[in-house]
Amino acid sequence: MASNTSHSHEHHIVSTGTYFLTLIALVVLMILTVAIAGVNLPGIGPFSGTVVNQTIALVIAIVKAMLVITIFMGVKWSTTLTKIWVISGFACLTLLFGIMGDYVTRHYEYQPGWEKQTEGALPRGTPNEPEIPPANANNLNVKIRH
Amino acid sequence: MASITNSTDHGHGHGHDSALHHQFENISQQNESYIVGMWVFLSTEVMFFGALFFIYTLYRWNYQLDFYIAHEHLDVTKGAINTTVLLFSSFTMVMAVQSAQLKRRMHVISYLLVTMACAFVFLGIKYFEYSSKIADHLYPGAGFATDGRAAFGEHAMEAGKLAVNMNHAQLFYGLYFGMTGLHAVHIIAGILVIGALIRLWVNECKTVTLDYVATEMVGLYWHFVDLVWIFLFPLFYLMPKPH
Repeated sequence: MASNTSHSHEHHIVSTGTYFLTLIALVVLMILTVAIAGVNLPGIGPFSGTVVNQTIALVIAIVKAMLVITIFMGVKWSTTLTKIWVISGFACLTLLFGIMGDYVTRHYEYQPGWEKQTEGALPRGTPNEPEIPPANANNLNVKIRH
Repeated sequence: MASITNSTDHGHGHGHDSALHHQFENISQQNESYIVGMWVFLSTEVMFFGALFFIYTLYRWNYQLDFYIAHEHLDVTKGAINTTVLLFSSFTMVMAVQSAQLKRRMHVISYLLVTMACAFVFLGIKYFEYSSKIADHLYPGAGFATDGRAAFGEHAMEAGKLAVNMNHAQLFYGLYFGMTGLHAVHIIAGILVIGALIRLWVNECKTVTLDYVATEMVGLYWHFVDLVWIFLFPLFYLMPKPH
């Protein structure tokens, strides 16, 4: 309990100016992200303009989120135990997104739905009658790549 | 040894005017416990919304053009206004917490009322957005629009042919209503919690007046709702054109 006694009993009171500046920064970033989204940026190296645009939008969102978490939610002035819990939630989120690694490296196969397929409802480049693949010997919905 | 010093400092004979509960050594430890508890809850919320964000990422990855065409029906201006309203409400919420720390009761009540008003403005704008989607049959289900040209206009056409798969557009609107709807449920829950907090402050209830942490916890929840919207806004309203 030594860590608790070292703290002052008077908690940290953040000034109105700090909060107001944070609000201004958040609104400016919001306007910036809308402005950048209106421009089709050129691609950089192997990345297309779409990826560049989307990356900028997400980076701005992450900066905004960091401002809210550190200043408004007061994590900047919080104890180490609180910080560990803050990080743990987002660490689990990162782990979850690791599953994308499976999807992007595997052949994605169209499965016909239960509803009647109209012509407009077919994915581009598929014949009118979707070919129903024969049941796999291994009973998995995955076609083995050759 | 610290516990002995603390018990002499505060004494356990504190009456009903102390915010400190008997199982805690001092107010810092008590507040830390409350705040950690709140963050444990918020971690579960991160994972709860995280799964939905993952579904969004996966299907956007697979159906980039369909999602792009479907997203053009969303109103960026309304989305941007809603973002500003929520950011502002986060500011007023944090000011309410600061006023609670300074024990300025009327300030707390005013800031909380402004926060609540912002929540209602957000829901009001959301109502108009949802209405325009429903009017164009862009809600998932059997009644979903089947004609891409009628629903999305010339955006859906490419060289005289329909460029959008309406099943995938339906998936986009399923995610749109699912995620913004769940967020709206959180806003409604926020209104109820802020309302309850205002009531406690108006009644000068000791739960809130003796220590700021009760107001702080409602604040943490409200900032989390803002946090979710910070990601929903660029992902749904500001999609870059696939090229």
